[in-house]
Amino acid sequence: MALDVQAIRQDFPIFQREVHGKRLVFLDSAASSQKPQAVIDAMTRIYTHSYANVHRGLYTLADEATTAYEDARGKLARFINAADTAEVILLRNATEGLNLVAYSWGEQNVGAGDRIIITEMEHHANLVPWQQLAQRQGAELAYIPVTEAGELDLDVLPGLLADGRTKVVACSLMSNVVGTLPPVTRVAEMAHAAGAIVVMDGAQAVPHQPVDVQTLGADFMAFSGHKMCGPGIGVLWGRRELLEAMPPFLYGGDMIRTVKKTYAQWNDLPHKFEAGTPPIAEVVGLGAAADYLSALGMDAIHAHEREMTAYALERLAEVDGLHVIGPGADRRGGVAAFWMEAAHPHDIASIVDAEGVCIRAGHHCAQPLHECFNLPATARASFYIYNDEADVDALIAALHKVNRLLQR
Amino acid sequence: MTSDLYREQLLDHYHNPNNYGVLEGADVDVEWDNPTCGDKIHLTAKLDAEGRVAEVMFEGHGCVVSMASSSMFTERVIGKTPEEVAAMSLDDIQEMLGGIRLSMGRVRCALLPLNALKRGMDAS
Repeated sequence: MALDVQAIRQDFPIFQREVHGKRLVFLDSAASSQKPQAVIDAMTRIYTHSYANVHRGLYTLADEATTAYEDARGKLARFINAADTAEVILLRNATEGLNLVAYSWGEQNVGAGDRIIITEMEHHANLVPWQQLAQRQGAELAYIPVTEAGELDLDVLPGLLADGRTKVVACSLMSNVVGTLPPVTRVAEMAHAAGAIVVMDGAQAVPHQPVDVQTLGADFMAFSGHKMCGPGIGVLWGRRELLEAMPPFLYGGDMIRTVKKTYAQWNDLPHKFEAGTPPIAEVVGLGAAADYLSALGMDAIHAHEREMTAYALERLAEVDGLHVIGPGADRRGGVAAFWMEAAHPHDIASIVDAEGVCIRAGHHCAQPLHECFNLPATARASFYIYNDEADVDALIAALHKVNRLLQR
Repeated sequence: MTSDLYREQLLDHYHNPNNYGVLEGADVDVEWDNPTCGDKIHLTAKLDAEGRVAEVMFEGHGCVVSMASSSMFTERVIGKTPEEVAAMSLDDIQEMLGGIRLSMGRVRCALLPLNALKRGMDAS
């Protein structure tokens, strides 16, 4: 069933405001999405009705808070079809999830002379942790190149995997810049056949399309709550046997079973990786976000964004001197990064902002990918459940204004 | 704020910058950039016998704010001592740009020429 965008916009209080006296056209959900009232209410409810620390108290409020927190974990497990709720680790953001794997799994399993393979299209969050792990361990870091069309060049992968030295392949489910949806399941099959594990960055995919960790082929997958209508937290999913064998990442309260003066024993999964008081209301809010998206239907969301992206690419082609980077609409998610001959990305973003249109300008935490295209920065529009064709039309009109101001 | 940024005066400096080029025999020769957005400047300056800024030229590419700021800056700093340059702040640059208040995202663009000259004078 198609999304009713007008009804969805009613669920998001921020769309009641204007920007510079203009209708708010929010095209930066790839950076962070807006929040529906259901999420705001869920967080308010726990603060006003059931707040206490989790996993400790024996009184009613503590029990209610713990139940709400663990219920939310269950919702997130179902959202990605995890076989086991204990495989869902609640963290500060997706970046922390990827760092957790790079530190805890990486330092135990990647040694001198081993190889780590990532791709040139990674967000810095799935690049720098591996780059630094390679440097700490004396391992080699190899890149799967990106073609001019913004696709992964998988021809190099068999050669890189052939010597059996590769311990981990890390790959994004969707580029946050060019929108490319790499063939991750094929990458995972090849990596596994060569004895490597596969770490996936799901930050751009999980909010926008059905993701099933049991069929994906990943051993770990991180995603962020704030890009899927939730608050600013992140989630790491990992296969239980790998998580069980890993040392903790952070030490402190809640992650221990027992502490003596000279040693400590770790708590069971998932708590082993959740040191200290967690972001309780945020986790509850993210559970509500998963409910909200599930009610809309992830297939319907994905179909809506494909339509939006196709329409946007068609209309962007009308703007004089504008160049979109990345693959065609049938091969990408709801993101369009572009550059204009007449304007620096900063100027594009500032000028369209005056028309109420929010887009991003910069390298979008993907500097190596921008190097592939020989561009220091791009402007980027991204689409979500509350965007419609009128939003694209507003963007296009504003981009014509950019040309009117800056084209000589 | 946006309309302020793209008013005629700044656009004129962007399209027709003052003192665009490279000084031969410069006392200060510095390249500086904002890696996050790709704004880049090559700034050269000559100092007089007292060490005051006598002449400045710049080359570079970037957004309207960084390039217009650079163009206006090449005139604004003439006659300043190294101490006076070191004491210049964002307030001075905003005043130079016509009294606008820059959003946090554009501050580094506007400061590009000042930061370049400060670094260049430290090194010279």
